[in-house]
Amino acid sequence: MLFNSLDFFIFLPIVFILFWLLGKDKAKTQNIILLIASYVFYGWWDYRFLSLIVFSTFVDYFVGKAIYNNSNKKVKTKWLWVSIIFNLGLLGFFKYYDFFVDSFVDSLLFAGFEIQNVWTLKIILPVGISFYTFQTLSYSLDIYREKLKPTNDLIAFGTYVSFFPQLVAGPIERASHLLPQITKEKRFKYEQAVEGLKLMLWGLFKKVAIADSLALMVDDIFVNYGTYPSSTLILGAIFFGFQIYCDFSGYSDIAIGTSKLFGVELMSNFRFPYFSRSIGEFWRRWHISLSTWFRDYLYIPLGGSRGSRSKAIRNIFVIFLVSGLWHGANWTFVVWGLFHALLFLPSFYFNTNRKHLDNVELFRSAKTFIIEGGQILMVFSWVMLSWVFFRSETLADAFSYLQNMLFDFTYWEYNHPQGYRMWDYYVLLVGFVIFEYIIRKDERNPLDFNNRFVRLLCYIILVFLIIMFYDDTMDRSFIYFQF
Amino acid sequence: MEKFVVKIVLYTILILLGLEMLVRIFHLHKDRPSRYLDEYNVEKWIPNQNGIWVTGNRRQNVGHFRINSFGYNSLYDDFYPKTNKKEIALVGDSYIQGFHQDFQNSLGQKLEALLNEEYKVLEFGYAGYDLADQLHLIKAYKHLFNNIEHVVIYMQYTTDLERDTYAVSNRFSLNTPLNRFLKQIKTVVYLRDIGLMDPITRSINGLTNLMRGKMYSETAAIEDPEKADHLKLENFKRLIEHYEYDKHKNVLLLDYSICSPQFLTYLEQNGFKTIDFSKVFEITKTPPTLIYDQHWSNYGRSLIANLIAEYIEGK
Repeated sequence: MLFNSLDFFIFLPIVFILFWLLGKDKAKTQNIILLIASYVFYGWWDYRFLSLIVFSTFVDYFVGKAIYNNSNKKVKTKWLWVSIIFNLGLLGFFKYYDFFVDSFVDSLLFAGFEIQNVWTLKIILPVGISFYTFQTLSYSLDIYREKLKPTNDLIAFGTYVSFFPQLVAGPIERASHLLPQITKEKRFKYEQAVEGLKLMLWGLFKKVAIADSLALMVDDIFVNYGTYPSSTLILGAIFFGFQIYCDFSGYSDIAIGTSKLFGVELMSNFRFPYFSRSIGEFWRRWHISLSTWFRDYLYIPLGGSRGSRSKAIRNIFVIFLVSGLWHGANWTFVVWGLFHALLFLPSFYFNTNRKHLDNVELFRSAKTFIIEGGQILMVFSWVMLSWVFFRSETLADAFSYLQNMLFDFTYWEYNHPQGYRMWDYYVLLVGFVIFEYIIRKDERNPLDFNNRFVRLLCYIILVFLIIMFYDDTMDRSFIYFQF
Repeated sequence: MEKFVVKIVLYTILILLGLEMLVRIFHLHKDRPSRYLDEYNVEKWIPNQNGIWVTGNRRQNVGHFRINSFGYNSLYDDFYPKTNKKEIALVGDSYIQGFHQDFQNSLGQKLEALLNEEYKVLEFGYAGYDLADQLHLIKAYKHLFNNIEHVVIYMQYTTDLERDTYAVSNRFSLNTPLNRFLKQIKTVVYLRDIGLMDPITRSINGLTNLMRGKMYSETAAIEDPEKADHLKLENFKRLIEHYEYDKHKNVLLLDYSICSPQFLTYLEQNGFKTIDFSKVFEITKTPPTLIYDQHWSNYGRSLIANLIAEYIEGK
């Protein structure tokens, strides 16, 4: 079920009413309703893959208990490996099996051995598998590291694994943050629910008005990049940058907003990343739930920045590489990850990666405007370059795209593939950037204006823009579903 | 919780009012004229209505229409032929009706500009007309059409041969009090036109069908193309026979690319005059249709006008 579908707009009020009417003062009933709703939500897309979620729930529920109940460290480790092998095995099989087989056959071919590839299985990727496997894995890891006690409530644990607002595209929650909220009784709070609705509206605007309306042009430019001048290719990279940001952060906002309606707080996933002044800052603001997951469960266990410089640099490369690979079984994502590792290295080397922990204030002084504005533009440009790898179908396409874009400057006007006015989109994006700058201080409450008339005006304009840019011919699914 | 529900209702109303205001200010909605049945049982627009026809979410295409005293979108009020002029009638559906373009720049006006001054083009376009509607109109107004030199009938092969006799259409069912009321809410008109209401109407229809015990079957919609073509041809034969189709005066404006070979062979063997626009549409680089729907664009209309002018001058 898509957040931006009619089905969801019928589903959500029904679940909301049942949840607060039947589940009032009863955590167990609340969780049963949420669990059923989550399974319906997921099954709406493909009920066959529900069995994977159920299986994953049982495995980690019992593994968690086994880890906790054993005092012997070796036995604990063995149980942890059961969880790791199961979760990563599941992910590896569904997401990477075909990729590794193809890559193996290609490398043999490169080495001069021609063999026929008969091992690929054309496996369908279950939606959300990268998200919920990481979430269940964090549960076992936290128990192993004695940061969390296992729950005895299977229903609550099932709800934690399959909680519908964030099931298919995150934010990837930690058990230590989400599970206690699920286990306890949820109470309706007016302010929280209102914040939730505002976030949902803001997320829907980003998805429908911006991401979906840019999608057609991005597809056109990336498919036909050989026929366009470099100016259009630059436009394509910028448009994709906005498309993926609005698509994914829009999803996250709707997810966080929906959870708020049920009295549950999810972690933030985006903090206005395109106002970053360094790559380090960008990664503190982009897909936060994934980057912190890798930081906590991979980078730090590997030694983090402790130890020798070379070891720390190796660790940086490992997490960026794994982060790239997490996004998809394609070498384009691996190169995207490595590209970001290279971008990150200078700030790590000069120890400036923890700079810019505050929000940008461009208009503090002329100097700030020039320096920080320049930094923002610089980071934005690097990130746009990296998106070319992320969006291209193959590495060869990505390199050709970049070559045409950077080394053969030509210009002619780009026309929308369906003949729509291009100025509508330019004005929309400029307006969006200005508005994001205004609201940049609180990503969890983007429409928090003191004056109620200003708030109402914002709601009306956002709804109006959603309608103005709505396209009923578009595929409305979210990009991150494929990851 | 009560406060939350009350606020949701209140804000929904305020947002809807705000939307209604914005839709009206920017005139994003179509003005929809009202229809009626005249004394000859011909369905037409109620005379003397004016309005704007908007296409696309963001006013991608705007046309001013003017329903004349005869009930069709036209610059002229006087449809009765004069002795000093040669009249050409354009009969057809929404393509001829031409709400998508200003009435001063309609297909008829384009055609007049191409021909010499002795010609006057009268437009009888009405959205939804099929061949039965068109032939019924010509027969009903025989006294008028008898004095017209050329009658160009635009026919869409795929949709205009579904029946073999004229009956008052179910388009009047759109005139229910509910629909008339909804027409006054411009936001609803706008949302309907851009397809935002489609998922809702589809769901309601699906639910209604389910409650009536009817399950939608996709196979029902797919029929044997050969049978369908045969039926269309039979309908055509019956219609021209019943309405005494004038092969000398009338000419069919057709898109050959969507017609069945049997139908085209029949037309050729039986001496029907035709104008085919499929070839010019095929080779043109500029899109002959609009962005948001398949109606002819200004350029498409010019191409059609050229073809008709060539036909008239050729005669």
